[in-house]
Amino acid sequence: MNKRIKGISALLSGLFILFLSCSKDSGSGPKPPEPGEFDKTAMLTHYADNIIIPAYQQMQEDLGGLQQAVNAFADAPSEATQDAAKVAYTKAHLQYEKIEVYNFGPAGAAFLDLYTNFSGGLDYSFTQDGELTGFSVDSVTIENNIASGAYDLTEYSRSSFYAQGFPALSYLMISPGAIEKFSVNTANRVQYVKDVAGRLKFLVDKVVNDWGSYRATFIGNTKTDVGSPIGNLVNQFAYQMDMLKGPRIGWPFGKQSNGIVFETKSEGYYAGIGSQLAQANINSLKNAYTGSGNKKSVAGYLISLGKESLNNDVLAQFDVVAAKLDAIPDPLAESFLTEGNKIEDAYKEIQKLLTLLKTDVPSATGVQITFMDNDGD
Amino acid sequence: MISILNRINLFKPVPISPLVTFRIAFGLLMFASLIRFWWRGWIGELYLKPSFHFTYLGFEWVKPLEGNGMYILYAAIIVAALFIMLGLFYRVATVTFFLGFTYAELIDATTYLNHYYFISLVSFLLIWVPANRKRSLDVMLKIAKPAEFVPSWTIGIIRFQMAVVYIFAGLAKLNYDWLIEAQPMRIWLPAKSHLPVIGGLLYKTWIAYFFSWFGAIYDLFIVFFLLNKKTRVVAYVFVIIFHGATAILFPAIGMFPYVMIACTLIFFPGRKQFGLPSAPVENFVVRKRIFTALAVYVTIQLLVPIRFLAYPGHLFWHEQGYRFSWRVMLMEKAGAAYFTVKEKETGRRFEVNNSEFLTPLQEKMMSTQPDMIVKYARYLAEIFAKRGVINPEVTGEIYVTLNGERSRLFIDSTVNLASQKVGWQNYQWVLPYKK
Repeated sequence: MNKRIKGISALLSGLFILFLSCSKDSGSGPKPPEPGEFDKTAMLTHYADNIIIPAYQQMQEDLGGLQQAVNAFADAPSEATQDAAKVAYTKAHLQYEKIEVYNFGPAGAAFLDLYTNFSGGLDYSFTQDGELTGFSVDSVTIENNIASGAYDLTEYSRSSFYAQGFPALSYLMISPGAIEKFSVNTANRVQYVKDVAGRLKFLVDKVVNDWGSYRATFIGNTKTDVGSPIGNLVNQFAYQMDMLKGPRIGWPFGKQSNGIVFETKSEGYYAGIGSQLAQANINSLKNAYTGSGNKKSVAGYLISLGKESLNNDVLAQFDVVAAKLDAIPDPLAESFLTEGNKIEDAYKEIQKLLTLLKTDVPSATGVQITFMDNDGD
Repeated sequence: MISILNRINLFKPVPISPLVTFRIAFGLLMFASLIRFWWRGWIGELYLKPSFHFTYLGFEWVKPLEGNGMYILYAAIIVAALFIMLGLFYRVATVTFFLGFTYAELIDATTYLNHYYFISLVSFLLIWVPANRKRSLDVMLKIAKPAEFVPSWTIGIIRFQMAVVYIFAGLAKLNYDWLIEAQPMRIWLPAKSHLPVIGGLLYKTWIAYFFSWFGAIYDLFIVFFLLNKKTRVVAYVFVIIFHGATAILFPAIGMFPYVMIACTLIFFPGRKQFGLPSAPVENFVVRKRIFTALAVYVTIQLLVPIRFLAYPGHLFWHEQGYRFSWRVMLMEKAGAAYFTVKEKETGRRFEVNNSEFLTPLQEKMMSTQPDMIVKYARYLAEIFAKRGVINPEVTGEIYVTLNGERSRLFIDSTVNLASQKVGWQNYQWVLPYKK
């Protein structure tokens, strides 16, 4: 018995010493920095207190302004009230791009992205006939809702998503002939547009409110599995890039459809601000990645793991994509038809950034992307 | 032949109790894990939700059962697991379990896990061994004759199976990334810093080396210490510590640690029995048949994990010969795959939206495994042909990252994948691995 056990321990300690000496002697080449301890709780606290909650609060404020402008327009539709509403709308929609990446926790539970700015989902392609896809507006459902006066905006269905939120508001207020349409069935139309604006406000109020209690859950969970705050953040980077490559730019541009452009399915179509929205989106994504230029961020975490060059490349690629999107003039829908080269340029760079955020970054941080059991890729 | 038979002594009567313990532990564990699988909604998620399945070569006929079929199948194998545990209608239960479980696993290769394969093999072995001859309802109800002794091969073959799992898992760890770079442990451990007490330590590089080396040594040698009477108990403590640690550190690995903790019980022999063994005495013909069957089984088990040697290049990169080889938790790999369908005559181009056809799990698995890439490309060609594309060509721009290296182009993006075949041949269009 003793002999055996001595044998085992001798073998184990021998091998142990062997690898210790190996790892010390091999220090001639450039060694990655010893990963120091990284304070994930501090990172999450920074995200919650300095970035996410303030962004939702700003959204809340902007929607307050939008609601006022919408009500003023609905009560007295004119070019003047329309212009004011358009300004408030643009401000709020741009702010929405800054919170979209945080679509988890309270926002996820409220289906905020579906009810405010429905993209059609990544699993619906632009080639299927007769289906509403992308950032479409379901004007038929909207007009039916107005005509009947009977609708339930809390309904969880694609046609419901397509009949409310920012796209529906822009259709009701700033699409061609929007003012004139208020002369028919006025009361119902006024009610509907106010309801849509009210629901936007209600949802964001709820999310802001829920973050009050969710904050503790968020900063208290430093796991990296699916559904964890860090997992959610890293997965959202890839998801938002998929959205940019798909519904925002690539698909309406005709990437799935042999170049057949679906310009009406572009984001912010009636407001003509698609390019601005895409720029706001990528900038906010970069802001989320860098924690507004703070070490307490996913970027900082990568650096602490010795992945500085990956981090540098991601940052550089963010800037390249932002510049390419900047070069695309609004209205985006028109640029899809007239500025094909610029869109193509941006699309290529988006795909590069997507690859980094979908493979290199999750792999480096050990973040899981599926719920299933996994015995190691 | 006769001398070999005598020397290995496959038919020496040995106490039955290891087999009985194994049967009960295995049945109970399968019962629990299948209920867990059902309860988590994975039957729907893995078998019913996907519109396309990545079948195995030669098993293309295996399809998810229609309607409630998959639920009925799972109900059947859950009951079978329970019956195995109780030792009731043992032969029928083991056959049902083996066929049902294996059928479900063969539906989609993206759901492959080593321990599912292990469960299939073990349940196959259980069909042939008399694990119901003691402490079973079969004995109580006089369906089976009681026995205190069984031929030693019935326990030996299960021990052999355990040894194959451990030793090949250990051999697989003897590679540069694992031993010298401590990868992927260096990626995975800092992601677990939330754990109490040890959390902070997991950022340390030396801890990653310690886990890597300890894991390799454990896998390579644990079986020998389990076989040895004098070290067995200590070794089993190590089994519990090792698999307990993996369960805590890597909960996503699922039931694997528990399966191994339960199954290593087979190494404990039964208490010495008094009196004469009344083991079944097979005649020479039966013995020869058993010997041949065991030899075939053993040979297959030894050859399958080394078939990768027949392929050139870096195994972890091209994954030809990777599955069914006990390579568990060996690498961190992720990919992004962009496919384009082209119509040559007209030049029409359609970019593919993978989310339209695949679940996130399928997409993740497909993006890094060549055989799945081909299967998917051929499926895409079919779909786009139906959508009116004449002679669709499918190309893929695929980027893969392995063990924290930067992502690189994985396959030749000019090759028409739809014209490639899935098979044993080397996939020439997989680009060579570069560090």
